Amino acid sequence: MANENKNNSSYKVYVFVFFSAVLLALSLWVVWDDEFGLRPWKKYQEEFKTMKHDQLEKDYRKAVVEFQRSGGHKRLAELEAQLAKAETSFQSGGTQEKYKQLTKQFDDLHAQSAINQKELQNARGLFLETEYYFTKTQKPEYKVKMDELQRQIDAITLRGNALQKKEEVLKNSISAITSGKAHLEAEIERMKSGLEDLKEKIANNNKVAVEIKQIHIKDIDKADRCQTCHIGIDGKRQVSLLQPFARHPASFVYLDHHDPTKFGCTFCHRGQGRATTSTEKAHGNVKHWDEPLLAGDMTQTSCLNCHGDIKGLRGAEEIVNSTELLKKYGCYSCHKIPGYETMGDVGPVLTEVGTKVNYSWAVKWLLDPKLYFSTARMPKFFFTQDQAESIADYLFSMSGTTRHDVDYSKETPNAKLVEQGKALWSQARCNLCHTTGGRGGNHVKVYAPDLSKVGSKVNKEWLFRWLKNPNAYFPGTKMPRFRFTDEDIKSLVEYITSEYKDDEAEPKYVQPVEIQVASIKKGKDLVQKYGCYGCHKLQGMEEMVQIAPSLKSQGVSFLRGDEMREKIGTELSSIGSKPLEMLDFGKLKKSIPNDRLSYIKQKLRDPRGYRLGLRMPDFRLAESEINELAAVLYGFTDSNVPVRFMVPSRQELDRMAGVQSYKFTGDFAKVIADVKCTNCHSIRGIGADYAPDLSYAGSKLQEGWIRNFLANPDVIRPLLQQMPKLGLTSGKPAAKITMPRFNLGQQKVEDTNRTDVDVVINFFQQELVSNDIPKKIPVITTMTMPEQISKGKNLYDEKGCKSCHQIGTEGGALGPNLSNVGNRLNPGFIFKHLENARKFKPDIVEPDYGFTERERIYLTNFLMTLKLNTK
Amino acid sequence: MKRLPEITDKVKRNLIWKSIFRRDYRNNVRDRAQAIFGNVFLHLHPVQVRESAVKLRFTWGMGGITFFAFITLVITGVVLMFYYHPTIDQAYTDIKDLEFQVPFGVILRNLHRWGAHFMVIVVMIHMFRVFMTGSYKAPRQFNWGIGVFLLVLTFLLSFTGYLTPWDQLGFWAITVGTNMGAATPLLGYQGPFSEYLHITPYNDVRFALLGGAQVGGNALLRSYIWHCVAIPLISIILMFVHFWRVRKDGGISKPQK
Amino acid sequence: MNPFIEIITQPDNIAIVIMIIMVTFFMVWAFQQAFQNDRLLAAGLPVDGEKDKFVDTFKPLVRIELIIAIVVMVGLTVWSIAVDAPLEEIANPTITPNPAKAPWYFLGLQELLVYFDPWLAGVVLPSLIVVGLLAIPYIDINPKGNGYYTFSERKYAIMIFSFGFFVLWLLLIVIGVFFRGPGWLWYWPWQEWDHARVVFEPTKDLTSLIGVDSRSLPGFIIGALVVGSYLVGGMIAPYRYWKKNNPELLAKLGIVRYVTIIFLFITMMSIPIKMVLRLVFLIKYIWITPWFNV
Repeated sequence: MANENKNNSSYKVYVFVFFSAVLLALSLWVVWDDEFGLRPWKKYQEEFKTMKHDQLEKDYRKAVVEFQRSGGHKRLAELEAQLAKAETSFQSGGTQEKYKQLTKQFDDLHAQSAINQKELQNARGLFLETEYYFTKTQKPEYKVKMDELQRQIDAITLRGNALQKKEEVLKNSISAITSGKAHLEAEIERMKSGLEDLKEKIANNNKVAVEIKQIHIKDIDKADRCQTCHIGIDGKRQVSLLQPFARHPASFVYLDHHDPTKFGCTFCHRGQGRATTSTEKAHGNVKHWDEPLLAGDMTQTSCLNCHGDIKGLRGAEEIVNSTELLKKYGCYSCHKIPGYETMGDVGPVLTEVGTKVNYSWAVKWLLDPKLYFSTARMPKFFFTQDQAESIADYLFSMSGTTRHDVDYSKETPNAKLVEQGKALWSQARCNLCHTTGGRGGNHVKVYAPDLSKVGSKVNKEWLFRWLKNPNAYFPGTKMPRFRFTDEDIKSLVEYITSEYKDDEAEPKYVQPVEIQVASIKKGKDLVQKYGCYGCHKLQGMEEMVQIAPSLKSQGVSFLRGDEMREKIGTELSSIGSKPLEMLDFGKLKKSIPNDRLSYIKQKLRDPRGYRLGLRMPDFRLAESEINELAAVLYGFTDSNVPVRFMVPSRQELDRMAGVQSYKFTGDFAKVIADVKCTNCHSIRGIGADYAPDLSYAGSKLQEGWIRNFLANPDVIRPLLQQMPKLGLTSGKPAAKITMPRFNLGQQKVEDTNRTDVDVVINFFQQELVSNDIPKKIPVITTMTMPEQISKGKNLYDEKGCKSCHQIGTEGGALGPNLSNVGNRLNPGFIFKHLENARKFKPDIVEPDYGFTERERIYLTNFLMTLKLNTK
Repeated sequence: MKRLPEITDKVKRNLIWKSIFRRDYRNNVRDRAQAIFGNVFLHLHPVQVRESAVKLRFTWGMGGITFFAFITLVITGVVLMFYYHPTIDQAYTDIKDLEFQVPFGVILRNLHRWGAHFMVIVVMIHMFRVFMTGSYKAPRQFNWGIGVFLLVLTFLLSFTGYLTPWDQLGFWAITVGTNMGAATPLLGYQGPFSEYLHITPYNDVRFALLGGAQVGGNALLRSYIWHCVAIPLISIILMFVHFWRVRKDGGISKPQK
Repeated sequence: MNPFIEIITQPDNIAIVIMIIMVTFFMVWAFQQAFQNDRLLAAGLPVDGEKDKFVDTFKPLVRIELIIAIVVMVGLTVWSIAVDAPLEEIANPTITPNPAKAPWYFLGLQELLVYFDPWLAGVVLPSLIVVGLLAIPYIDINPKGNGYYTFSERKYAIMIFSFGFFVLWLLLIVIGVFFRGPGWLWYWPWQEWDHARVVFEPTKDLTSLIGVDSRSLPGFIIGALVVGSYLVGGMIAPYRYWKKNNPELLAKLGIVRYVTIIFLFITMMSIPIKMVLRLVFLIKYIWITPWFNV
């Protein structure tokens, strides 16, 4: 039986051996793969080490060469020779004898004091023991012994001190003998140490372990292992520009303010921080990881995660620009976006648009706004002619019952009025905001429509009313109310309607035609479906008795307020982290990459491309705008950033602190609402940064100057904004622009007796003042005024102020012109400004000269003498 | 080469060797029997078996393969437990770290996962084989019953393990699976007649399974404990009964006519 | 073709592919041996293994066990090296994947949800499967075919078991894995999954076929009658048949065993019947009661 088994089993042995061999091979492969295949970063770290080694080696060689070139080696040789000499003289004769003797004495003494020390310890130990028994038994013999021991201790201590002193003396005499040598040795050491340090660096680099390097943020258990490959990312020195070895770009902005050991990498860059096995996995460009890596400027989108205010945030310039775009197109009108809930309407009120524009124009505009002018902000809704007419009918029926046009092209304009109007046009600097054709529109942050064809769009009556009081037609418009007289307005209207005409306009309804009720109803449905009320106010017309009773009797009704409140678009508050499953790629699933960013971009490129029935209009964004907007949207995430990383906006901070945000009050608020100063100026954080900040204008400016300036801005105005930008800050260089003439001072503010200039001045002096800025400057009694002034003049020349500032025609143009500064600024402001310019304007380029108080008084007094006589 | 026998001889005379193997093996009937009942692992077997048991074509080795898969899973599973916390904050990252950081983590997890699938497959095939050879018939009826329970336990082992990585796949598989529990007649809140027992989502069968009305931290802990402690223990006990009964019922079934 | 490859190469689905291959292989092997033995039986020869001698366990059995263990280990290692275990996004209760599938071995039950309400598909039927499996040794009173592969001697037992195992269990699993897409709609493996796809099937209840509202009392009664007559008829018909043709069998079975067998059988057969009703006649419910629907 046993034999049978054997024969039977011979092939089984081969099977066994074969599979065992296979299993062994597989096991070896698994070990190899785990050691190398799954740990590609080892290669990177080795490579980095080699490169760093080469760099340090090079440094070292350079230092050696430098050392030799500067004669270091000669000096070293010299020192070494001296040392050798000192050595020989030390070795020879009496010195050596004496040294040996002293050393021996010292050693003996040292041995003695060691013995002494031991005795002392013993005595103390005995004392403590005796004390213990004494306290326990209170037997007097212990007390006696204690006293005895105490005496011993004192004696030994005394002896010890004496020995110590002797030792000290001996030590000094020994070191006196060897001091020359020691000094030389130290010098040599010092000379060598620079090179030694470099050598040590090389040695240290070789010792760096090849291992997974991670930043672990404990409380949220976040582990970013990015540095395992990006080994040089926070190094002090660039080792290689190649990835993954390069340093973090602009690390003084990003890393210095976000300590990598506290923030890690993936809060800003996303990606899969834990992954180490492949680039794709680490960068999150794999299935089942929803947060692919952000690189380059795109990373700035992450600033939005934590920073409530990104305005002026260093390193976030791109994303700041991009958010401007979001405001420009008014995305928040249809989509809920956190932080933008209280933004105003982007489009004008349309309730009475029938009294404003031509019907033919409205239809054409609805069909495609860009046909009217190319910079139009309103998107294209792809309406058919029929649909566009229905909507126009609905809008026109809110203020009438007819389709109607006016046509001025046949009329002959009044040449004199046109002439006057033209002058006013340029005085009021209409072109600052409005473009006409290719001209104007420098103030990019205020969107104003192109006016080159406006004469064929609106009627004269409306234009007159508009210019007289824009707020009456469109509350909340950015258009200021210029204090024109009725004659002024008439001439302006004449000028505008005759100058800016559309040659291609086809007014079809010069003879008004009754609007069809069916069309209005259709228009109403369209308005509701496409949510026109998102950007345009359409409310207030529920009751239409006065306007068109005839329509009401035919059953026409307008949308009520509660029918228009909802935002019709998708909420965007977390679009940047929306799971892919929730993004509907529809029919483009196969043709575009299925990731979040591609989805957003494609949606902006072709809003209705994913499937039928989508409603979002086409803004015809440029590819650059698409990229910018996508970057912003990508930053709207619901990522769980720890609260400690949050930088709330000023508003939020105020709210948290229970402080009311700054608000204009009283009559000045009325002036602001009318003249819209904050379109250009910023006051206490409100407004734009187009013109100088007026937060402390009351402390800064003199009343007389303000009056003159407001009355006649283009005459007295210093050439402040003509300063060349020199590329110190980002953005377009400012063109030569000046403040429009608002004709303030000619009218009373409503409900008051005061003129608007008085109100402005009053507000400036009451509100826009700082306690830090003194009203008057200290007076120096020991010196006459002319002396002080001449001292100031000297200082002005000495410190080279004129290389930036101009007086008269002399001096540079980098700083403000000071020719009339004595009329413009308060002395207190100048005094304070000279102390710390940055206090009031943090980004100012003026250097800090560290003037003493006296010097500042001299300078102020000198500057106050600079006055131009303009009357 | 010549000295090899000498060396082996020396080794075999060594005290340590002798303490382990007791006696030399001489390939006679006595020693072959001794090899089986003298070994704690092998003594599960009888000393002699029928030829069919040695041939693959009758049993396909499926029972043994199932047991082997189970052992593999226990070993890999125990090692995996070192790297795993059954909490919703850590579970997922622990699995990620298995891939990215733990030495041999990838192969461990893969072996465990695929071993589990493999065990479910072979246990089903084992049942099929036992049915096809009629091996559940007398006297093995009871052992078939044990086998059925072991089959169900295998499914449950795999099912409870599905949730442990705390990813979408496991989460929704468990959600779908346990939602069935909510439809239990009388005891599930969506099941028939449950309203007569005042059953709500908070006191029904599914609540008991999940430790909550939804799959959450408690469900993860429960599935972990069922997966790593309770079901393996029950399975091991039943396995011993199963193996014991195979022996006591006469070993591999033989044709009885 | 691409979607097909994508589906079968999904890490977890590779297990199903392996299962299909293994099950097919062993099914063929089992039946081949069964037919071989049948031929031997027909010729009056001893079946495979009948003339077995005893062999020592050490080493033939131990050796073969070791070899199998190594082969299995090699297989598992190759599988583990070649395919990484899946790990999807972190669990998120707010995002429901479509389709949300149970682990593959329960997909047969999930598939049943198309045809039955959850209390039946998810609780009652699985319990009955376990009960049925446990009952097999006690209700199969055929003494033949014990310890060897055969088909001819236990045709009915093997056919019923195979139907349950291969069709109602494994086939439904394969359908659930490979043929069910978003919305649990049917997709052929070469079809692209379309998450927006809507399929409207105007299902109705049995009684509405004859114009009776299934939720009304008459509908309730008719439904109850249909279900009841299926159960009662299913019980009586075989009894009558066997009483006439094979009374000894009936006597051997006894009443308890008879009722158990027939109950399990008609329950099992109700699954394909309901599937046909649902797929071919678009019937959703047969019997609607205030408490449950069948």
